[in-house]
Amino acid sequence: MSAHPRAAVRPAPPVLEVRGLVKAYPGVRALDGVDLQVRRNEVLGLAGENGAGKSTLLKALVGLVRPDAGEIRVRGERVRLRSVQDAADHGIGMVFQEQSLVGNLTAAENIVLGSEGPGVRHGFYRWATMRRLAQEQLDKIGSTIDPLARTDSLTFAERQMVEIAKVLRIEQRTHDTPVVILDEPTSVLEPGEIETLFEQVRRLREFASVVFVSHRLDEVLDVCDRVYVLRGGRAVGEIRPAEAEPGRLHRMMIGSTAAEDHYHGGAATPVPPTREPLLTVRGLTGTTFRDVDLDVRAGEIVAVVGVHGSGREELCRALFGAVATSAGEVLLDGRKLALTGPRAACAAGVGYVPAERKIEGMVGPMSVADNMTLAKQGVRCAGPVVVPRRQAAVVDRWISRLSIRTPGRRTAIGRLSGGNQQKVVLARWLVGGDVRLLLLDHPTRGLDVGARSEVYRLMRELAGNGVATLLLADSLEEAIGMADRVVVMSDGRVTTEVPCPAGGKPSPLDLVKEMV
Amino acid sequence: MSVGAAGPLITLVVVVVVFAALAPQFRTPGNIANILDAAAVLAVVTCGTTFVLLLGSIDLSAAGVMAASSLTVALLVENTRNGADHGLLGIVVAVLLGAALGGLSGLLLVLLRVPSFMTTLGVSAVGLGIATLLFAGVQPGVVDAGLRGWATGRFLGFTHLTWIAAACVLVGWVVQRHTRLGRYAMAIGGGEEVLALSGVRVAPYKVAVFTMAGAFYGLGAVMVTSQLGSGVVQAGADYSFSAITAAVVGGTLLVGGRGGVLHSTVGVLLLTVLANGLVLVGVSPYVQGGVQGLIVVVAVAAAAAPLRHRNQVVK
Amino acid sequence: MTLTFRPAAVLLSLCLTALAVTACGGGPEAGAGGSADTGTCDPADITLVGQVRNESNPYEASWLDGGDTFAASVGLQQQRLTYDGESTKQQEQIRQLLASGRTECMVLNVLPNGDSDTTPIVRAADAAGAYLVTQWNKPAQLQPRDYDRWISHITYDGVESGEQIAGSLFEAMGGSGGVIALQGVLDTAAAKDRFAGLEKALAANPGITLLDQQSANFSRAEALTVTETLLTKHGDQVTGIWAANDDMALGALQALEQAGRAGQVAVVGIDAVPDALTAIGESRMTATVSSDGPWQGGIGLAIGYCVATGELDMADVAAEQRAFYAEQFLITKDNVSEFQDPGTDPADFECANVFNRTAGPLA
Repeated sequence: MSAHPRAAVRPAPPVLEVRGLVKAYPGVRALDGVDLQVRRNEVLGLAGENGAGKSTLLKALVGLVRPDAGEIRVRGERVRLRSVQDAADHGIGMVFQEQSLVGNLTAAENIVLGSEGPGVRHGFYRWATMRRLAQEQLDKIGSTIDPLARTDSLTFAERQMVEIAKVLRIEQRTHDTPVVILDEPTSVLEPGEIETLFEQVRRLREFASVVFVSHRLDEVLDVCDRVYVLRGGRAVGEIRPAEAEPGRLHRMMIGSTAAEDHYHGGAATPVPPTREPLLTVRGLTGTTFRDVDLDVRAGEIVAVVGVHGSGREELCRALFGAVATSAGEVLLDGRKLALTGPRAACAAGVGYVPAERKIEGMVGPMSVADNMTLAKQGVRCAGPVVVPRRQAAVVDRWISRLSIRTPGRRTAIGRLSGGNQQKVVLARWLVGGDVRLLLLDHPTRGLDVGARSEVYRLMRELAGNGVATLLLADSLEEAIGMADRVVVMSDGRVTTEVPCPAGGKPSPLDLVKEMV
Repeated sequence: MSVGAAGPLITLVVVVVVFAALAPQFRTPGNIANILDAAAVLAVVTCGTTFVLLLGSIDLSAAGVMAASSLTVALLVENTRNGADHGLLGIVVAVLLGAALGGLSGLLLVLLRVPSFMTTLGVSAVGLGIATLLFAGVQPGVVDAGLRGWATGRFLGFTHLTWIAAACVLVGWVVQRHTRLGRYAMAIGGGEEVLALSGVRVAPYKVAVFTMAGAFYGLGAVMVTSQLGSGVVQAGADYSFSAITAAVVGGTLLVGGRGGVLHSTVGVLLLTVLANGLVLVGVSPYVQGGVQGLIVVVAVAAAAAPLRHRNQVVK
Repeated sequence: MTLTFRPAAVLLSLCLTALAVTACGGGPEAGAGGSADTGTCDPADITLVGQVRNESNPYEASWLDGGDTFAASVGLQQQRLTYDGESTKQQEQIRQLLASGRTECMVLNVLPNGDSDTTPIVRAADAAGAYLVTQWNKPAQLQPRDYDRWISHITYDGVESGEQIAGSLFEAMGGSGGVIALQGVLDTAAAKDRFAGLEKALAANPGITLLDQQSANFSRAEALTVTETLLTKHGDQVTGIWAANDDMALGALQALEQAGRAGQVAVVGIDAVPDALTAIGESRMTATVSSDGPWQGGIGLAIGYCVATGELDMADVAAEQRAFYAEQFLITKDNVSEFQDPGTDPADFECANVFNRTAGPLA
């Protein structure tokens, strides 16, 4: 079978078809009736913002999520997928975003894991056979990796090849064209590696159907035969790259401009550009960012935007002292801020809300009160001893000021909703009354619309009180909506700065052009 | 081998060189045979523990399993308490009893989903109970010449126990490197979810690993019984923790999926050489424990140094 | 019948004698702190409890067997308790026991896990009114005479036993040669005292040199390894091994056997465990010391029983009988046959004889 010329894809019977798929989680309708078709030997793109429902859809396709309604058809036949094995039996396999390889095994073992077949006899490995089996898979994608190399000694891109080789083993379970799903495969790759990946994807198309998921439009348009755009749990449009106009695709992804007041723009207090900066960063260099200059004034919200690999997350952590820097200096209110570690940053009045709330932001089984006073022990202690009455007074005051909905201060934080958890995490920096600079890394990640709005209101209020805020927003829309200025980072450097005054906001599209 | 993995081996070599320089008796062939003889039982027990640690589980059952197996073998071979004289069969039964108790730990782990820390502690208590019942107030002394010969007989200058331990380490290494059981034990420790996503049923392998560990403990108990000349309830009293210590010192970490039988054996040798060398060098018994601990801590820290980074969480 | 009446008679005569010599008013204070009670329990109502660490070693198992023998001799049963060497478990068992109600006629013969465990046991038993005898471990300042129901504390002089076996060892070595010493757990009183006894004997025998001393933590397996190492270190200079207990001595014997030096080196230990007695009988080992486990198990219950029934009046129990060193026996090839069948002599447990083995007051 020859490769299809990209511009002239002929309609073929769908290998995989999804009809009206619905999946609801408490507070969120992740999939709201998705319809799509995957045809034989095509590369289908799936594009959409974070939260558009991409990952839930993929999980449903490989049996990790059971849809509430709708159906999945494989080659016209309705199937229920209960596990990854079920999906594999139907010829559907996925390369997961967070890679699913066992690092301490060899590449060959990972490729044949769970279906070693002739590679094992009487419980003993036959390494030569294992190697041959793995080599066959690697040859399909033209990879030159040594099958007996330990997986954790490979580069990220090489591991991705191993994963693709592994997923292709599903061919043995089905006699028809397999469907290979690649979930955000480019997110952590270098530009050169991305080009190699694209070649692999084109090669794959000769014997498989590929679903290529990315939030980066240029990639999707570059490699795919057809693109579906997902928004709010629905497929809102289908595009052929040849006739695509980037602007239209963007509008489909982002939707109509959201109402300004979602971001409480009215509560924003303009900061005169003449005001002295509170935070001054000069020439800061770390492992993934270089020569960063940045100013944030008191009362100002500055959003840093950039694609994966731009170095903005690392920068944020570096300002909190959580990762090491190799050069440059940081001034807080004219005084040098020692980047020796989070302790020093805390003491200087810097607060940090990490992106991984459940892992880094809170101690799940501990109470609301204990979580809130974790960083500023002084507010609840007399010397080394916790004074429960003092803690109660402080915590109750902040529970009511931030209207945190909790049965009480003693409730374990893990039992609250995401929005209320996030408010407790924010309150941690407020209880001391000494916070000057807040570093917010995706503060609204995983929150529903209502909770987001409350976090936005809180950010405005804090800015009004003179707190300087550095924001890594969840979406471009959010960055533009909240920020007074947007700083664009690319490849570890600050490339440009776009003012975002109320009433004169730039469009997301303008920013995207700067980012890519 | 990466720098981190080679750390304990380098430490072992340094310690051996230092002791050899300080104490002439240390480098005699007789003493080397002594060290290997003293390390034999711990090496066998550590083989078993290593596989459990590779899973990312922990095994505290050696003490009880060894107690039960020690009494069993002492009562089944020719002994001072009853008329039994089953010879090799007695040894096989003792090893199988160890395997059964190990299997029980594994089954409790996968069926009741109780953490291995608890199940193995419980099984250890069961083993001690069995041993106490078998003991019944009178220590059975081993008369069986064959079993006694394990500890006293020599081949090429080394005791039979040393050769048995060497064989166990070899078997352990083969299992770890070349069998599905060993590779899956590695994989479970490295990423159990991945294995499940690849369609592997993990539970049977876990049970098998615990069973194999139990068999190693049973054999270790037979070796102790041969050494001490009688079935002793305290036969394995210190081995649970010594084996975990040796494994970790050698680089088989508690997080699972790291290290292996050879790493652990280096740890066993390091601990044994330290105990032997400190006596020969003439370090006062009142400070020996402290000095030994200090050297181990320094060795582990030196081995881990290249892996540290800021804000790393260590548990 | 005579037994029942005799304490009163003794008291009377004692008082009279005392009156004759000095003032009788000082008697009770000097004798029993003036507060110890004598019981009036019906023998059938008495509960007997023996508590040791575990039954998995011959010594403690024989202790409980001795307790059973005594109990049977008075038509009762002993409750056998073991706490696996865990202090918290021991305290919990005592708590449950004393919460059962009928404590006024309860007799406890207890081996406390360590010195510090004795204090709460004594307080709890005293408060509940149960009769208590403790053995081996107690803090120095805690004295039975300050309590009503804690009748006696029995222990053994470790310095003496350490010295006794050293004497036998040196004799077997012909008065000269090199000795290696295997110490117990270094921070225990038993290990310290026994080693002090060895040092005393060394001072008196200039022909003997202490080549080396190492701890093998009272463990057979550790002693085996340590002895192997020491034999390498000192070679043929070693002609005697002094071990602070029999388990270590037996470990040393194994090491000698494995080194092909069995029979060339004299070995001594303490505790008189069955394997050691066998070894002495076969001339593989030189000596050990017995505290007589079965007697220990019986005597604590016997003392308590006698006081609880009133057969023994607390007023008759002298101050030095409330905390004393008990006699211990040096066992060599000459007398080993007398000890090989562990048993008890019923006469030892008669109320008139319960303090017969007092070897001296506790310092």
